[in-house]
Amino acid sequence: MTAPQRRAGCTRSRSRRAGLVGLAAGLLVMGCSPYNSRHQIQWDSRTQIWQAEASQVKVRAAQSRIFDTSDALLAIEAVVATFQDLGFQVEVLDEELGIVSGKKFIGREKPAVGVDPHYYLYDEESLMVFTKAYRSWGPFWHRSDLVRLTVTVRERNPTQLIVRAAVQFQLRPIEDPEPYQKFFQTLERALSADRQLRP
Amino acid sequence: MALVLLAGCVTPTKPEAFFQLAPESPAHKAAETRHFETSGEAELLSASAAVLQDLGFQISESVREVGFLRAAKERSAREYGQEISRFLVGLLSASGFALGANTLVLTPVDLHQQINATLVTRPLDVEGSRYEVRILFYRLIWQGSGQSGDQYIAPGQQKMEMIRDPGIYQQFFARLAKAVFLEAHKI
Amino acid sequence: MSSEKRVRRLAIVVLGLGAIACVTPQPEPDLLAPTEEQMKLRSIQTRSFEMTDRNQAIRGVIAALQDLGFIIERANESLGLVTAARFAEPSYYDVLGVTVTVRPEKGGKMRIRANAIYNNEPVTDAKVYQNFFATLERSMFLGRD
Repeated sequence: MTAPQRRAGCTRSRSRRAGLVGLAAGLLVMGCSPYNSRHQIQWDSRTQIWQAEASQVKVRAAQSRIFDTSDALLAIEAVVATFQDLGFQVEVLDEELGIVSGKKFIGREKPAVGVDPHYYLYDEESLMVFTKAYRSWGPFWHRSDLVRLTVTVRERNPTQLIVRAAVQFQLRPIEDPEPYQKFFQTLERALSADRQLRP
Repeated sequence: MALVLLAGCVTPTKPEAFFQLAPESPAHKAAETRHFETSGEAELLSASAAVLQDLGFQISESVREVGFLRAAKERSAREYGQEISRFLVGLLSASGFALGANTLVLTPVDLHQQINATLVTRPLDVEGSRYEVRILFYRLIWQGSGQSGDQYIAPGQQKMEMIRDPGIYQQFFARLAKAVFLEAHKI
Repeated sequence: MSSEKRVRRLAIVVLGLGAIACVTPQPEPDLLAPTEEQMKLRSIQTRSFEMTDRNQAIRGVIAALQDLGFIIERANESLGLVTAARFAEPSYYDVLGVTVTVRPEKGGKMRIRANAIYNNEPVTDAKVYQNFFATLERSMFLGRD
């Protein structure tokens, strides 16, 4: 911003007005950085350590389903098949503990033209803070595209299993029941298909 | 800028000091650890994963053979207090425009945090009838971009904070005890 | 006349510099060969413990690193490998990383080797490793009946 030219007489008010406009523009830029405003604002960021947005009981109900089978291995195979159907990479798989976890990028911020190497190079699994990449873009590149999914399969009683799926997207946990309904539909389909394959 | 200068003035601790137990490590260990009278280590780990899932974490790594579990969740770290002080500092510094110079200062604010948990189970006796569960919560915080006069401050400034508040650990172990139907003994 | 010579000389210098800049440095044949310093380092980085259970040894290493305030990054049972790191507080720009391997040895012993790296440079001070193994001995058998 350049200082307004000084001329005699009534230009005083003009320069003041220009200054005010500049100030207002500056304040606007300050307050409404589009990337910043994507982030949910709160009084204390530490509350996120244990917070859930909806009530715990409701969230658990939305994210869990009970299956009338005691075959945990079959259920986990079906979960892995569901991950593949939904395009998730399986990163953690422990059949004894009943944990399946993975991620995928949904390409919303993918550059329309050309290839952006940062889109593929970024690895948020590494403890980034130990890479000494001081003042790098950090996890900001294409963060909006990341979807993380963790599914646990646990025994509810000797004849039933409880499967719980938890999704994280755009720095928020997904707590509405609808996305999970679709997930469990796919899982049920995979489970019945697996049952037919088994001798 | 001032922070960078101050950081340079801090005397670095020598590496050998980090391999000796610090005076506060027993207190940290006590807050982070509980004992369970059980032989089911897999059940302890599986229940821990379920409790972490309940707390909104995603499991990042699981190594059952050594009783190691790592989990993370990413959330917004943006705070009203920081945005307000950024606005006020910007407002005050913008007064320099009247003199024709670009003196606008926009301090970078915290935007993104990754809250991590590292959990380890360990047998306390040879028969494996008692297990120790130790969990550590810590968070990584990244800041956004800023401005200091004509100089653009790139985003991505990172910092780390170990979570020492006993409340979160108590909450975790209370839920874990419920999930395994056992009592969590303090050490 | 002299200016023409000067221009030519300048051109040769510039081309010469350009040639140097364009030549990619050749990798030394000893790039992957262990140096004598590294060989000496190996003995101070290694210690043998009287134990036969490798799993117990790995868990002892993890417990020791946790007691020291390190964050466990990787733990691999089949390879007997544990990686951990921490900030060299109070400075949050200096990072201290450590890789520990556990391998069984003849005679009912376990060989444990620790590599400490401070800001991308290997730590060569013997005191560091002495302190680590002292803490490891404590944590390895602590808490057991």
